[in-house]
Amino acid sequence: MIALYIVLPLALLIGGLAVAAFIWTVRSGQLDDVDTPPRRMLFEDPPTRPVTDVAES
Amino acid sequence: MTAVLREAELAAPVPCAHCQLPVPVGRLTGGATAYCCSGCEIVASAITANGLSEFYALRDTAAPATSTGRAYTELDDPAFQRVHVQLAADGTARAALYLEDLRCTACVWLVESAPRCVPGTVEVRVDLGRSRADVTWDPGATQLSSIARFLDAVGHVPHPYRGLDRDRARRREDRALLTKLGVAGAAMGNLMLLAIALYAGLFGGMARADATFFRWASMLVAVPALGFAATPMFRTAIGALRARRLHLDLPLSIGIAAGLGWGALNVLRGAGEIYFDSLAMLVFLLLVARWVVLRHQRRASTGAELLLALTPSRARRVDGEAIVEVPIEAIVPGDVVNVLVGDVIPVDGMIVEGRSALDVGLLTGESRPVEVSAGEVVNAGTANLAGPLLVRATAVGETTRVGRLVASIEALSARKAPIERLVDRIAGRFVKVVTLAAFVTFVAWTAAVSLGVGAENAMALLIVTCPCALALATPLAVTVALGRAARRGVLIKGADALERLATPGTMFVDKTGTLTAGKLAVVSWRGDLDAAALAVAVEAGSNHPIARALRDHATTPLVATAIEEDLGRGIAGVVEGRQVLVGAPPWVRARTSPHPVIEGWIAELAERGETPIVIAVDQRPVAVVGLSDPIRDDARAALDRLAAAGWRIEILSGDDPRVARRVGAALGIPEERCHGGATPEAKAARVTAARVCGPVVMVGDGVNDAAAMAGATAGIAVAGSAEIAIEVADVYLRSPAIQDIAATVDGARATLATIRRNLRLSLVYNLTAGTLAVAGVIHPLIAALVMPLSSLTVLASSLRSRAFQERS
Repeated sequence: MIALYIVLPLALLIGGLAVAAFIWTVRSGQLDDVDTPPRRMLFEDPPTRPVTDVAES
Repeated sequence: MTAVLREAELAAPVPCAHCQLPVPVGRLTGGATAYCCSGCEIVASAITANGLSEFYALRDTAAPATSTGRAYTELDDPAFQRVHVQLAADGTARAALYLEDLRCTACVWLVESAPRCVPGTVEVRVDLGRSRADVTWDPGATQLSSIARFLDAVGHVPHPYRGLDRDRARRREDRALLTKLGVAGAAMGNLMLLAIALYAGLFGGMARADATFFRWASMLVAVPALGFAATPMFRTAIGALRARRLHLDLPLSIGIAAGLGWGALNVLRGAGEIYFDSLAMLVFLLLVARWVVLRHQRRASTGAELLLALTPSRARRVDGEAIVEVPIEAIVPGDVVNVLVGDVIPVDGMIVEGRSALDVGLLTGESRPVEVSAGEVVNAGTANLAGPLLVRATAVGETTRVGRLVASIEALSARKAPIERLVDRIAGRFVKVVTLAAFVTFVAWTAAVSLGVGAENAMALLIVTCPCALALATPLAVTVALGRAARRGVLIKGADALERLATPGTMFVDKTGTLTAGKLAVVSWRGDLDAAALAVAVEAGSNHPIARALRDHATTPLVATAIEEDLGRGIAGVVEGRQVLVGAPPWVRARTSPHPVIEGWIAELAERGETPIVIAVDQRPVAVVGLSDPIRDDARAALDRLAAAGWRIEILSGDDPRVARRVGAALGIPEERCHGGATPEAKAARVTAARVCGPVVMVGDGVNDAAAMAGATAGIAVAGSAEIAIEVADVYLRSPAIQDIAATVDGARATLATIRRNLRLSLVYNLTAGTLAVAGVIHPLIAALVMPLSSLTVLASSLRSRAFQERS
């Protein structure tokens, strides 16, 4: 069971990194408004350049 | 002659191209698109002219448009910019605006399309929950007022966002809670994995060194993570102790602190039980409950300052011969201001010149225009409908009537005492019982066996009785109720509101818009029925409430010419070569030959409290129409339901006392409970007085009801309410049906019943676990099973609640 002594701290470390990432998202304001972004994704993107006909050659 | 009530002969109504409401006959164009009012037409043309027609595809609610057409020059004022505008390093400027009527995806899209339509706008970001838009623009290319005019034109009237400080504080609070929630969640997951290994070791055997390793790992995760995540509970508990108040967080904190401390001690000394997994779950569940409730309570709120935006920020001052436009702050009592037609009067004062009709709905709730002439007193915030006025100011700004009203609304809202929550009362008793039981357990086991066993069992008791389910009982029941109510169109602002509404008391109901339809309608017709077509033709283009009522009543293909409107009195026109007059009796009387039968009808209708309107054709009166604000069909049933639930209903209206009594009589409310002619101040005073005798609920829709709502135990705002009324109210009904008020009150009672059931269930679990602990047979595994089981029971009980359940 000696592997446990390496794997367990490693697992906790990875968990800790995930928590740190979560805290970063909260601090940077990504979770401040959870109502509007799900609606915003429904918008059509404005065409970036005029659509040109692809002529058949 | 017999009286006949004419049925409306309406063809299939044409829906307004913008808001989907039926289009009145007079506005039908014959084409495919017609608009119900000029507001919708302006907004729709602004939307299409800017190439934003996708709006109509995205939206999921349709509502009549509002557009003020104001210039918003005050937003470019340096004084305003100093306070509200931030300049970024890249030369752009940012400001937050509060937008009205921000409801759905389409609104977000429309507002965020501003950069495409107003050159110089860099970005507009909407926060739907707060009705807030963050605008970024290039000060060199455009001005904030241009963006504001665009937003106004597409139907979202902008106001300066005044809640920035409060928003910042709330955001800090939200982020802190979310961080703790994440930490607690991660700790819970990891601690459970470690605990499973330890529990498996109990049955399968485990090397002592391995077990010690797992216990140390658990402690190193649990103590810092939970110590951090549970700080909100510790803080409230300490605060409550200092204030000598009992709070649910007190027993929770005792359990958590005892569990962490005792567990750490046991790990260090290498013997005894640890409860870290159960504690982590407890903390996590509590934080989830808190977060859910907080999210329900955080809705757009802008404070009473919004009302001041209802009075204009600029005024036209008369300086000798010239008229100069100055900021409202520059006006002092004694100045004379010029008020144009369509403008809102900026000051309290006396008319020195002019004659007009005013819309005083803001202050009194009265929907009919009030005639005013020189020498009469006018109030800031009322709209000038008919003719230009010269007004000598007697009060400006905060000393105006509307300003004082705002001050009283703020004062009353601030004074609203927090109610003593049921769960806190129980928690108080709970703490006493558990501490006493722990003390007895400690003494008894120490005497019987040893100090170690005594401490072990007393600590186990404190930990396993930590009232997790008790803490979840209220938030779960409330969340279920709030969610279901919202689906029905009843928006409740929090748990407190439900508890406030659960005990029956006195309910004051504003007449207009709740008991009655809130607009004039034709209720009786005496005389020539064919005159209807002629009258509707003449009234086709008018915006007067009476014209609207007549158009709702009948339709006609006829077209009138030579229309002359004498505002507030009557209207004349020529239809098919015949001279038609429609108007108030004295006005028509002055233009026609007297007619005894007609005079009899006028008297009869006036006696019944209806507004009589006379129709004359070729100088001969032919018909009398009775108009009134009809009582809603469902009002009687809803009031009976409320009365059966123990509520005492009273009408509190700004309307004429006779009208209030007539509505009361029709609804079976005794005369002494129908109060008419109440000013906003009188409403607030009556509500405050009634609170001595028990809970008071105020139902209303106008600015004039807001002070009374703030002063009541709970306020209910109905659909179409003024922004300020929605702000102050505890409950907002999206539909105007009074049935929903009864449903809300029933739902509140049912929710409280669910909360009580939840509390009983969780106490049963605590009692069981506590008894086991006192008997010394508790084990961490039992605690780990009992805690989620009790929480699940409470969850199931909450979901089974009949609160706001759709009746099948």
